[in-house]
Amino acid sequence: MAAPDQVAAVAPRNTPFIVLAPPSWLALISLASVLTILALWAAATTFGWVSPLFLPSPVDVARAAAKLASNGDLWRAILASSARVFAGFFLAAAIAIPLGVAMAVFGPVRAMFSPLISLLRPLPSITWIPLTILWLGIGEQQKVMIVFLGSWIYILLATYEATRRVDPLLVRAARNLGAGDFTVMREVILPGALPGILAGLKVSLAIAWSCVLSAEMIAARSGLGALIWEAKEWGDMTVVLVGMTSISLTVLLADAVAGRVELVLQPWERARRRH
Amino acid sequence: MSAILTAEHVTKSYPVPGGEMVAIRNLSLDIAEGEFLCLLGASGCGKSTMLNMFAGFTAPTTGRVLLQGRPITGIEPRCGMVFQSYALFPWKTVQENIEFPLRMRDVPRSERRAIASSLIEMVHLDGFADRYPGELSGGMQQRVTLARCLAADPLVMLMDEPFAALDAMTRQVMQDELLRIQERSGKTIVFITHNIDEAIILGHRIVVMSARPGRIRTIVENPLPRPRHVGVQTSHAFADLKAELWAQIEEEVMQHVAASRLAEHA
Repeated sequence: MAAPDQVAAVAPRNTPFIVLAPPSWLALISLASVLTILALWAAATTFGWVSPLFLPSPVDVARAAAKLASNGDLWRAILASSARVFAGFFLAAAIAIPLGVAMAVFGPVRAMFSPLISLLRPLPSITWIPLTILWLGIGEQQKVMIVFLGSWIYILLATYEATRRVDPLLVRAARNLGAGDFTVMREVILPGALPGILAGLKVSLAIAWSCVLSAEMIAARSGLGALIWEAKEWGDMTVVLVGMTSISLTVLLADAVAGRVELVLQPWERARRRH
Repeated sequence: MSAILTAEHVTKSYPVPGGEMVAIRNLSLDIAEGEFLCLLGASGCGKSTMLNMFAGFTAPTTGRVLLQGRPITGIEPRCGMVFQSYALFPWKTVQENIEFPLRMRDVPRSERRAIASSLIEMVHLDGFADRYPGELSGGMQQRVTLARCLAADPLVMLMDEPFAALDAMTRQVMQDELLRIQERSGKTIVFITHNIDEAIILGHRIVVMSARPGRIRTIVENPLPRPRHVGVQTSHAFADLKAELWAQIEEEVMQHVAASRLAEHA
Protein backbone atom coordinates (compact mmCIF):
# COMPACT_ATOMS: atom_id res chain seq x y z
CA MET A 1 0.00 0.00 0.00
CA ALA A 2 1.29 3.40 -0.92
CA ALA A 3 1.20 6.20 1.59
CA PRO A 4 -1.69 8.61 1.01
CA ASP A 5 0.53 11.47 -0.15
CA GLN A 6 2.11 9.26 -2.80
CA VAL A 7 -1.29 8.21 -4.07
CA ALA A 8 -2.26 11.83 -4.37
CA ALA A 9 0.89 12.58 -6.35
CA VAL A 10 0.36 9.73 -8.82
CA ALA A 11 -3.39 10.00 -9.31
CA PRO A 12 -4.44 12.10 -12.31
CA ARG A 13 -5.24 15.58 -11.11
CA ASN A 14 -8.77 16.68 -11.59
CA THR A 15 -8.62 20.31 -12.55
CA PRO A 16 -11.79 21.95 -11.23
CA PHE A 17 -13.79 23.89 -13.76
CA ILE A 18 -14.63 26.68 -11.34
CA VAL A 19 -11.39 28.31 -10.26
CA LEU A 20 -10.43 31.76 -9.11
CA ALA A 21 -7.88 32.55 -11.79
CA PRO A 22 -4.90 34.72 -10.85
CA PRO A 23 -5.67 38.41 -11.51
CA SER A 24 -2.83 38.82 -14.01
CA TRP A 25 -4.48 36.29 -16.29
CA LEU A 26 -7.87 37.91 -16.00
CA ALA A 27 -6.42 41.29 -16.99
CA LEU A 28 -4.82 39.74 -20.06
CA ILE A 29 -8.08 38.08 -21.10
CA SER A 30 -9.92 41.38 -20.73
CA LEU A 31 -7.30 43.20 -22.78
CA ALA A 32 -7.48 40.56 -25.53
CA SER A 33 -11.27 40.85 -25.54
CA VAL A 34 -11.14 44.63 -26.04
CA LEU A 35 -8.53 44.33 -28.78
CA THR A 36 -10.59 41.68 -30.57
CA ILE A 37 -13.67 43.89 -30.62
CA LEU A 38 -11.63 46.81 -31.97
CA ALA A 39 -10.03 44.57 -34.60
CA LEU A 40 -13.40 43.22 -35.73
CA TRP A 41 -14.74 46.76 -35.96
CA ALA A 42 -11.70 47.90 -37.96
CA ALA A 43 -11.91 44.87 -40.28
CA ALA A 44 -15.62 45.30 -40.89
CA THR A 45 -15.16 48.91 -41.99
CA THR A 46 -11.84 48.49 -43.85
CA PHE A 47 -12.95 45.55 -45.96
CA GLY A 48 -16.31 47.11 -46.71
CA TRP A 49 -18.47 44.51 -44.90
CA VAL A 50 -20.58 47.42 -43.68
CA SER A 51 -21.05 50.81 -45.28
CA PRO A 52 -19.28 53.72 -43.52
CA LEU A 53 -22.70 55.40 -43.50
CA PHE A 54 -23.92 52.83 -41.00
CA LEU A 55 -20.72 52.34 -39.05
CA PRO A 56 -17.73 54.67 -39.38
CA SER A 57 -14.28 53.14 -38.91
CA PRO A 58 -12.50 53.33 -35.54
CA VAL A 59 -9.83 55.51 -37.16
CA ASP A 60 -12.42 58.07 -38.27
CA VAL A 61 -13.96 58.04 -34.79
CA ALA A 62 -10.56 58.56 -33.18
CA ARG A 63 -9.85 61.43 -35.59
CA ALA A 64 -13.20 63.07 -34.78
CA ALA A 65 -12.53 62.60 -31.07
CA ALA A 66 -9.11 64.25 -31.40
CA LYS A 67 -10.66 67.20 -33.22
CA LEU A 68 -13.45 67.65 -30.67
CA ALA A 69 -10.97 67.31 -27.84
CA SER A 70 -8.54 69.86 -29.29
CA ASN A 71 -11.16 72.53 -29.88
CA GLY A 72 -12.56 71.91 -26.37
CA ASP A 73 -16.11 70.91 -27.41
CA LEU A 74 -15.75 67.39 -26.04
CA TRP A 75 -14.47 68.54 -22.63
CA ARG A 76 -17.19 71.18 -22.35
CA ALA A 77 -19.83 68.55 -23.13
CA ILE A 78 -18.42 66.09 -20.60
CA LEU A 79 -18.15 68.80 -17.97
CA ALA A 80 -21.72 70.03 -18.57
CA SER A 81 -23.18 66.52 -18.27
CA SER A 82 -21.03 65.64 -15.26
CA ALA A 83 -22.05 68.79 -13.39
CA ARG A 84 -25.73 67.97 -13.92
CA VAL A 85 -25.26 64.35 -12.85
CA PHE A 86 -23.42 65.25 -9.70
CA ALA A 87 -25.81 68.02 -8.68
CA GLY A 88 -28.84 65.78 -9.14
CA PHE A 89 -27.16 62.75 -7.67
CA PHE A 90 -25.97 64.47 -4.50
CA LEU A 91 -29.38 66.04 -4.01
CA ALA A 92 -30.94 62.58 -4.38
CA ALA A 93 -28.48 61.00 -1.95
CA ALA A 94 -28.92 63.80 0.57
CA ILE A 95 -32.66 63.19 0.66
CA ALA A 96 -32.93 59.46 0.00
CA ILE A 97 -30.32 58.13 2.45
CA PRO A 98 -31.79 59.74 5.60
CA LEU A 99 -35.29 58.90 4.43
CA GLY A 100 -34.36 55.29 3.68
CA VAL A 101 -32.80 54.83 7.12
CA ALA A 102 -35.80 56.47 8.78
CA MET A 103 -38.19 54.21 6.85
CA ALA A 104 -36.26 51.12 7.91
CA VAL A 105 -36.16 52.11 11.56
CA PHE A 106 -39.51 53.83 12.17
CA GLY A 107 -42.71 52.04 11.15
CA PRO A 108 -44.82 55.23 10.87
CA VAL A 109 -42.33 56.85 8.47
CA ARG A 110 -42.41 53.68 6.39
CA ALA A 111 -46.20 53.68 6.37
CA MET A 112 -46.23 57.33 5.34
CA PHE A 113 -43.85 57.09 2.40
CA SER A 114 -44.22 53.59 1.01
CA PRO A 115 -47.46 54.24 -0.98
CA LEU A 116 -45.86 57.27 -2.63
CA ILE A 117 -42.76 55.27 -3.48
CA SER A 118 -44.77 52.36 -4.88
CA LEU A 119 -46.48 54.81 -7.22
CA LEU A 120 -43.34 56.65 -8.31
CA ARG A 121 -41.08 53.65 -8.62
CA PRO A 122 -42.34 52.25 -11.96
CA LEU A 123 -41.99 55.63 -13.70
CA PRO A 124 -38.85 55.94 -15.87
CA SER A 125 -37.25 59.36 -15.45
CA ILE A 126 -37.95 60.13 -19.10
CA THR A 127 -41.68 60.32 -18.35
CA TRP A 128 -40.94 63.30 -16.10
CA ILE A 129 -39.48 65.33 -18.95
CA PRO A 130 -42.72 67.03 -20.11
CA LEU A 131 -43.72 68.11 -16.60
CA THR A 132 -40.24 69.22 -15.58
CA ILE A 133 -39.90 71.30 -18.76
CA LEU A 134 -43.22 72.92 -17.96
CA TRP A 135 -42.14 73.65 -14.38
CA LEU A 136 -38.50 74.53 -14.83
CA GLY A 137 -37.92 75.29 -18.54
CA ILE A 138 -35.06 73.63 -20.39
CA GLY A 139 -32.18 75.01 -18.34
CA GLU A 140 -29.87 73.39 -15.82
CA GLN A 141 -32.51 73.05 -13.13
CA GLN A 142 -34.61 70.81 -15.30
CA LYS A 143 -31.67 68.48 -16.07
CA VAL A 144 -30.74 68.29 -12.41
CA MET A 145 -34.37 67.58 -11.57
CA ILE A 146 -34.51 64.70 -14.06
CA VAL A 147 -31.36 63.19 -12.58
CA PHE A 148 -32.80 63.60 -9.12
CA LEU A 149 -36.14 62.04 -10.04
CA GLY A 150 -34.46 59.17 -11.84
CA SER A 151 -32.05 58.19 -9.12
CA TRP A 152 -33.48 59.01 -5.70
CA ILE A 153 -35.82 56.04 -5.48
CA TYR A 154 -33.04 53.56 -6.21
CA ILE A 155 -30.85 55.14 -3.53
CA LEU A 156 -33.78 55.05 -1.15
CA LEU A 157 -34.58 51.39 -1.79
CA ALA A 158 -30.93 50.35 -1.47
CA THR A 159 -30.61 52.28 1.80
CA TYR A 160 -33.84 50.83 3.14
CA GLU A 161 -32.84 47.26 2.32
CA ALA A 162 -29.31 47.70 3.67
CA THR A 163 -30.61 49.15 6.92
CA ARG A 164 -33.20 46.42 7.36
CA ARG A 165 -30.52 43.80 6.85
CA VAL A 166 -28.21 44.98 9.64
CA ASP A 167 -27.65 41.99 11.93
CA PRO A 168 -30.12 42.38 14.85
CA LEU A 169 -27.66 40.43 17.01
CA LEU A 170 -25.21 43.36 16.77
CA VAL A 171 -27.92 45.77 17.90
CA ARG A 172 -28.68 43.45 20.79
CA ALA A 173 -24.98 43.16 21.67
CA ALA A 174 -24.57 46.95 21.63
CA ARG A 175 -27.55 47.44 23.93
CA ASN A 176 -26.25 44.71 26.22
CA LEU A 177 -22.98 46.66 26.41
CA GLY A 178 -24.89 49.73 27.53
CA ALA A 179 -25.55 51.60 24.27
CA GLY A 180 -28.58 53.88 23.90
CA ASP A 181 -30.65 54.58 20.76
CA PHE A 182 -28.33 57.27 19.46
CA THR A 183 -25.21 55.13 19.79
CA VAL A 184 -26.93 52.12 18.26
CA MET A 185 -27.87 54.26 15.25
CA ARG A 186 -24.47 55.89 14.82
CA GLU A 187 -22.18 53.01 15.65
CA VAL A 188 -24.13 49.93 14.65
CA ILE A 189 -26.94 50.58 12.18
CA LEU A 190 -25.22 53.17 9.99
CA PRO A 191 -21.86 51.37 9.61
CA GLY A 192 -23.75 48.10 9.20
CA ALA A 193 -25.83 49.54 6.39
CA LEU A 194 -22.94 51.42 4.78
CA PRO A 195 -21.77 48.67 2.37
CA GLY A 196 -25.30 48.25 1.01
CA ILE A 197 -25.83 52.00 0.77
CA LEU A 198 -22.57 52.49 -1.12
CA ALA A 199 -23.37 49.62 -3.49
CA GLY A 200 -26.76 51.25 -4.12
CA LEU A 201 -25.09 54.61 -4.78
CA LYS A 202 -22.78 53.04 -7.35
CA VAL A 203 -25.68 51.49 -9.26
CA SER A 204 -27.67 54.71 -9.01
CA LEU A 205 -24.75 56.72 -10.34
CA ALA A 206 -24.92 54.81 -13.62
CA ILE A 207 -28.70 55.31 -13.67
CA ALA A 208 -28.18 59.04 -13.05
CA TRP A 209 -25.99 59.20 -16.15
CA SER A 210 -28.63 57.59 -18.34
CA CYS A 211 -31.16 60.10 -16.97
CA VAL A 212 -29.08 63.14 -17.84
CA LEU A 213 -28.42 61.84 -21.35
CA SER A 214 -32.06 61.30 -22.14
CA ALA A 215 -32.86 64.75 -20.80
CA GLU A 216 -30.09 66.29 -22.90
CA MET A 217 -31.20 64.52 -26.05
CA ILE A 218 -34.67 65.92 -25.76
CA ALA A 219 -33.87 69.49 -24.86
CA ALA A 220 -30.41 70.87 -24.28
CA ARG A 221 -27.71 72.92 -25.97
CA SER A 222 -24.80 71.45 -24.08
CA GLY A 223 -23.69 68.12 -22.71
CA LEU A 224 -22.89 64.74 -24.21
CA GLY A 225 -26.54 63.97 -24.96
CA ALA A 226 -26.86 67.20 -26.94
CA LEU A 227 -23.59 66.48 -28.74
CA ILE A 228 -24.89 63.10 -29.87
CA TRP A 229 -28.32 64.41 -30.85
CA GLU A 230 -26.94 67.31 -32.90
CA ALA A 231 -24.52 64.99 -34.71
CA LYS A 232 -27.43 62.70 -35.50
CA GLU A 233 -29.30 65.63 -37.07
CA TRP A 234 -26.30 66.14 -39.37
CA GLY A 235 -25.97 62.41 -40.04
CA ASP A 236 -22.49 62.47 -38.54
CA MET A 237 -22.16 59.01 -37.01
CA THR A 238 -18.49 59.50 -36.13
CA VAL A 239 -19.41 62.20 -33.61
CA VAL A 240 -22.30 60.04 -32.32
CA LEU A 241 -19.78 57.29 -31.61
CA VAL A 242 -17.37 59.77 -30.02
CA GLY A 243 -20.20 60.81 -27.70
CA MET A 244 -21.11 57.24 -26.88
CA THR A 245 -17.52 56.28 -26.14
CA SER A 246 -17.08 59.36 -23.97
CA ILE A 247 -20.14 58.40 -21.94
CA SER A 248 -18.78 54.91 -21.37
CA LEU A 249 -15.35 56.16 -20.34
CA THR A 250 -16.72 58.91 -18.10
CA VAL A 251 -19.05 56.51 -16.27
CA LEU A 252 -16.21 53.98 -15.93
CA LEU A 253 -14.02 56.68 -14.43
CA ALA A 254 -16.77 57.78 -12.06
CA ASP A 255 -17.25 54.15 -11.04
CA ALA A 256 -13.55 53.70 -10.38
CA VAL A 257 -13.53 56.83 -8.21
CA ALA A 258 -16.61 55.54 -6.37
CA GLY A 259 -14.82 52.24 -5.78
CA ARG A 260 -11.87 54.06 -4.20
CA VAL A 261 -14.18 56.12 -2.01
CA GLU A 262 -15.89 52.89 -0.95
CA LEU A 263 -12.61 51.43 0.30
CA VAL A 264 -11.59 54.61 2.09
CA LEU A 265 -14.93 54.72 3.91
CA GLN A 266 -14.76 51.04 4.88
CA PRO A 267 -11.26 50.18 6.10
CA TRP A 268 -12.60 46.93 7.58
CA GLU A 269 -13.69 45.76 4.11
CA ARG A 270 -10.21 46.46 2.83
CA ALA A 271 -8.79 44.30 5.59
CA ARG A 272 -11.22 41.51 4.75
CA ARG A 273 -10.37 41.54 1.04
CA ARG A 274 -6.67 41.31 1.77
CA HIS A 275 -7.25 37.85 3.23
CA MET B 1 -24.44 31.92 49.85
CA SER B 2 -26.32 34.95 48.62
CA ALA B 3 -28.12 34.72 45.30
CA ILE B 4 -27.10 37.33 42.74
CA LEU B 5 -29.35 36.06 39.96
CA THR B 6 -32.68 34.35 40.53
CA ALA B 7 -35.35 32.74 38.40
CA GLU B 8 -38.68 32.48 40.25
CA HIS B 9 -41.25 30.07 38.80
CA VAL B 10 -40.38 31.16 35.29
CA THR B 11 -42.56 29.97 32.44
CA LYS B 12 -41.99 31.09 28.88
CA SER B 13 -44.29 30.22 26.01
CA TYR B 14 -44.54 31.38 22.43
CA PRO B 15 -47.64 31.46 20.30
CA VAL B 16 -47.39 29.02 17.39
CA PRO B 17 -49.97 28.20 14.71
CA GLY B 18 -52.73 26.28 16.47
CA GLY B 19 -51.68 26.83 20.08
CA GLU B 20 -48.58 27.69 22.03
CA MET B 21 -45.11 26.27 22.48
CA VAL B 22 -43.92 26.10 26.07
CA ALA B 23 -40.16 26.63 26.02
CA ILE B 24 -39.71 26.69 29.79
CA ARG B 25 -42.10 25.53 32.50
CA ASN B 26 -41.97 26.62 36.11
CA LEU B 27 -38.23 26.93 36.43
CA SER B 28 -36.74 28.23 39.67
CA LEU B 29 -33.01 28.69 40.19
CA ASP B 30 -30.69 30.64 42.49
CA ILE B 31 -27.25 31.55 41.23
CA ALA B 32 -24.72 32.50 43.91
CA GLU B 33 -22.31 35.38 43.66
CA GLY B 34 -18.95 34.26 42.30
CA GLU B 35 -20.39 30.97 41.11
CA PHE B 36 -19.60 29.28 37.80
CA LEU B 37 -22.87 27.64 36.84
CA CYS B 38 -23.29 25.41 33.80
CA LEU B 39 -26.69 24.86 32.22
CA LEU B 40 -26.41 21.51 30.48
CA GLY B 41 -29.03 20.19 28.11
CA ALA B 42 -29.82 18.92 24.65
CA SER B 43 -30.96 21.34 21.97
CA GLY B 44 -34.52 22.49 22.46
CA CYS B 45 -34.41 22.38 26.25
CA GLY B 46 -34.90 26.12 26.54
CA LYS B 47 -31.47 26.92 27.96
CA SER B 48 -30.86 29.78 25.51
CA THR B 49 -34.34 31.11 26.25
CA MET B 50 -33.47 31.17 29.95
CA LEU B 51 -30.23 33.01 29.24
CA ASN B 52 -32.05 35.57 27.08
CA MET B 53 -34.37 36.25 29.99
CA PHE B 54 -31.42 36.77 32.34
CA ALA B 55 -30.06 39.32 29.83
CA GLY B 56 -33.47 40.97 29.59
CA PHE B 57 -33.78 40.33 25.85
CA THR B 58 -37.14 38.65 26.46
CA ALA B 59 -39.46 38.66 29.44
CA PRO B 60 -40.91 35.56 31.12
CA THR B 61 -44.56 34.82 30.33
CA THR B 62 -45.15 34.20 34.03
CA GLY B 63 -42.78 34.30 36.98
CA ARG B 64 -39.89 36.68 37.61
CA VAL B 65 -36.21 37.02 36.91
CA LEU B 66 -34.29 38.96 39.55
CA LEU B 67 -30.84 40.53 39.65
CA GLN B 68 -29.72 41.24 43.22
CA GLY B 69 -33.33 40.87 44.27
CA ARG B 70 -34.70 43.40 41.76
CA PRO B 71 -36.75 42.31 38.73
CA ILE B 72 -35.09 42.54 35.33
CA THR B 73 -37.47 44.50 33.11
CA GLY B 74 -35.43 45.53 30.07
CA ILE B 75 -32.08 44.80 28.48
CA GLU B 76 -29.76 44.56 31.47
CA PRO B 77 -26.14 45.68 30.84
CA ARG B 78 -25.13 44.36 34.26
CA CYS B 79 -25.72 40.87 32.82
CA GLY B 80 -23.13 40.81 30.04
CA MET B 81 -23.74 38.36 27.22
CA VAL B 82 -21.03 36.45 25.36
CA PHE B 83 -22.64 35.29 22.13
CA GLN B 84 -21.82 32.06 20.36
CA SER B 85 -21.44 33.90 17.05
CA TYR B 86 -19.18 36.52 18.71
CA ALA B 87 -21.34 39.53 17.71
CA LEU B 88 -18.25 41.70 17.31
CA PHE B 89 -18.64 44.97 15.41
CA PRO B 90 -16.89 44.22 12.09
CA TRP B 91 -16.17 47.93 11.50
CA LYS B 92 -14.31 48.36 14.77
CA THR B 93 -10.81 47.14 15.49
CA VAL B 94 -10.11 44.76 18.36
CA GLN B 95 -9.19 47.75 20.53
CA GLU B 96 -12.32 49.71 19.54
CA ASN B 97 -14.54 46.71 20.18
CA ILE B 98 -13.13 46.27 23.67
CA GLU B 99 -13.31 50.00 24.39
CA PHE B 100 -16.95 50.19 23.29
CA PRO B 101 -18.54 49.36 26.67
CA LEU B 102 -16.04 51.67 28.38
CA ARG B 103 -17.09 54.57 26.16
CA MET B 104 -20.71 53.80 27.01
CA ARG B 105 -19.78 54.42 30.63
CA ASP B 106 -17.85 57.62 29.78
CA VAL B 107 -14.53 56.24 30.97
CA PRO B 108 -11.83 58.78 30.00
CA ARG B 109 -9.74 58.01 26.95
CA SER B 110 -6.43 57.28 28.66
CA GLU B 111 -8.08 54.98 31.16
CA ARG B 112 -9.93 53.20 28.34
CA ARG B 113 -6.65 52.58 26.56
CA ALA B 114 -5.09 51.15 29.69
CA ILE B 115 -8.01 48.84 30.49
CA ALA B 116 -8.25 47.63 26.89
CA SER B 117 -4.52 46.97 26.74
CA SER B 118 -4.53 44.93 29.92
CA LEU B 119 -7.55 42.92 28.71
CA ILE B 120 -5.90 42.31 25.34
CA GLU B 121 -2.91 40.99 27.19
CA MET B 122 -5.14 38.88 29.43
CA VAL B 123 -6.71 37.09 26.47
CA HIS B 124 -3.35 36.76 24.70
CA LEU B 125 -4.07 39.01 21.75
CA ASP B 126 -1.01 41.25 22.09
CA GLY B 127 -0.15 42.76 18.73
CA PHE B 128 -3.68 42.38 17.34
CA ALA B 129 -5.18 45.54 18.82
CA ASP B 130 -5.48 47.31 15.47
CA ARG B 131 -6.83 44.36 13.49
CA TYR B 132 -10.45 44.04 12.43
CA PRO B 133 -12.46 40.99 13.56
CA GLY B 134 -12.65 39.75 9.95
CA GLU B 135 -8.89 39.27 10.03
CA LEU B 136 -8.96 36.97 13.07
CA SER B 137 -9.64 33.27 13.51
CA GLY B 138 -12.75 32.06 15.34
CA GLY B 139 -10.84 31.41 18.55
CA MET B 140 -9.30 34.86 18.48
CA GLN B 141 -12.67 36.49 17.82
CA GLN B 142 -14.14 34.66 20.79
CA ARG B 143 -11.29 36.01 22.95
CA VAL B 144 -12.14 39.53 21.82
CA THR B 145 -15.79 38.96 22.74
CA LEU B 146 -14.68 37.72 26.14
CA ALA B 147 -12.44 40.75 26.64
CA ARG B 148 -15.24 43.09 25.51
CA CYS B 149 -17.62 41.51 27.99
CA LEU B 150 -15.02 41.82 30.77
CA ALA B 151 -14.46 45.48 29.84
CA ALA B 152 -18.14 46.10 30.49
CA ASP B 153 -17.45 44.75 33.99
CA PRO B 154 -20.90 43.18 34.39
CA LEU B 155 -22.09 41.61 37.63
CA VAL B 156 -22.84 38.38 35.78
CA MET B 157 -21.42 36.99 32.56
CA LEU B 158 -23.90 35.03 30.46
CA MET B 159 -22.26 32.72 27.98
CA ASP B 160 -24.33 31.06 25.27
CA GLU B 161 -22.35 28.04 24.04
CA PRO B 162 -19.45 30.39 23.37
CA PHE B 163 -17.00 27.68 22.31
CA ALA B 164 -19.37 25.50 20.29
CA ALA B 165 -18.13 26.83 16.96
CA LEU B 166 -14.46 26.29 17.78
CA ASP B 167 -12.36 23.26 16.92
CA ALA B 168 -11.67 20.81 19.76
CA MET B 169 -8.15 22.00 20.51
CA THR B 170 -8.96 25.70 20.48
CA ARG B 171 -11.93 24.94 22.70
CA GLN B 172 -9.69 23.38 25.36
CA VAL B 173 -7.38 26.37 25.31
CA MET B 174 -10.35 28.70 25.68
CA GLN B 175 -11.80 26.63 28.54
CA ASP B 176 -8.50 26.87 30.36
CA GLU B 177 -8.39 30.62 29.86
CA LEU B 178 -11.95 31.05 31.01
CA LEU B 179 -11.17 29.08 34.19
CA ARG B 180 -8.15 31.29 34.80
CA ILE B 181 -10.15 34.47 34.18
CA GLN B 182 -12.94 33.33 36.47
CA GLU B 183 -10.50 32.44 39.26
CA ARG B 184 -8.84 35.82 38.93
CA SER B 185 -11.88 38.02 38.58
CA GLY B 186 -14.30 36.06 40.75
CA LYS B 187 -17.08 36.84 38.26
CA THR B 188 -20.38 35.04 38.40
CA ILE B 189 -20.76 33.09 35.17
CA VAL B 190 -23.80 31.33 33.74
CA PHE B 191 -22.53 29.09 30.99
CA ILE B 192 -24.71 27.19 28.53
CA THR B 193 -23.46 24.04 26.88
CA HIS B 194 -24.65 20.76 25.44
CA ASN B 195 -21.22 19.25 26.00
CA ILE B 196 -20.97 17.15 29.18
CA ASP B 197 -17.16 17.35 29.33
CA GLU B 198 -17.27 21.12 29.06
CA ALA B 199 -19.83 21.37 31.85
CA ILE B 200 -17.69 19.20 34.14
CA ILE B 201 -14.46 21.04 33.36
CA LEU B 202 -15.96 24.47 33.96
CA GLY B 203 -18.90 24.31 36.34
CA HIS B 204 -18.98 24.65 40.10
CA ARG B 205 -22.54 23.41 39.80
CA ILE B 206 -24.15 21.73 36.81
CA VAL B 207 -27.84 22.18 36.12
CA VAL B 208 -29.15 19.36 33.93
CA MET B 209 -32.19 20.44 31.97
CA SER B 210 -35.07 18.46 30.49
CA ALA B 211 -36.48 19.28 27.10
CA ARG B 212 -39.96 20.24 25.88
CA PRO B 213 -40.86 22.02 28.01
CA GLY B 214 -37.57 23.07 29.58
CA ARG B 215 -37.33 22.19 33.27
CA ILE B 216 -34.57 21.46 35.74
CA ARG B 217 -34.02 17.73 35.90
CA THR B 218 -31.33 17.77 38.52
CA ILE B 219 -28.58 19.95 39.94
CA VAL B 220 -25.18 18.37 40.50
CA GLU B 221 -22.48 19.82 42.75
CA ASN B 222 -19.15 19.40 40.98
CA PRO B 223 -16.74 17.77 43.47
CA LEU B 224 -13.64 18.24 41.30
CA PRO B 225 -11.00 20.39 43.02
CA ARG B 226 -10.38 24.02 42.14
CA PRO B 227 -8.48 25.86 40.72
CA ARG B 228 -9.20 23.56 37.85
CA HIS B 229 -7.45 22.82 34.59
CA VAL B 230 -8.54 20.99 31.42
CA GLY B 231 -6.17 18.17 32.48
CA VAL B 232 -8.85 17.15 34.99
CA GLN B 233 -10.48 15.16 32.18
CA THR B 234 -8.12 12.24 32.77
CA SER B 235 -9.06 11.78 36.45
CA HIS B 236 -11.29 9.01 37.83
CA ALA B 237 -13.51 11.55 39.56
CA PHE B 238 -14.15 13.15 36.17
CA ALA B 239 -15.14 9.81 34.63
CA ASP B 240 -17.48 9.02 37.51
CA LEU B 241 -19.20 12.36 37.28
CA LYS B 242 -19.50 12.01 33.53
CA ALA B 243 -21.13 8.60 33.93
CA GLU B 244 -23.57 10.03 36.46
CA LEU B 245 -24.51 12.94 34.25
CA TRP B 246 -24.79 10.78 31.17
CA ALA B 247 -27.20 8.45 32.98
CA GLN B 248 -29.42 11.48 33.59
CA ILE B 249 -29.14 12.80 30.09
CA GLU B 250 -29.35 9.51 28.22
CA GLU B 251 -32.94 9.07 29.34
CA GLU B 252 -33.71 12.59 28.12
CA VAL B 253 -32.11 12.03 24.77
CA MET B 254 -33.81 8.66 24.29
CA GLN B 255 -37.20 10.15 25.12
CA HIS B 256 -36.47 12.89 22.68
CA VAL B 257 -35.50 10.44 19.92
CA ALA B 258 -38.57 8.31 20.62
CA ALA B 259 -40.80 11.37 20.51
CA SER B 260 -39.42 12.50 17.19
CA ARG B 261 -39.82 8.95 15.75
CA LEU B 262 -43.41 8.97 16.92
CA ALA B 263 -43.93 12.34 15.30
CA GLU B 264 -42.49 11.00 12.07
CA HIS B 265 -44.94 8.09 11.98
CA ALA B 266 -47.92 10.18 13.00
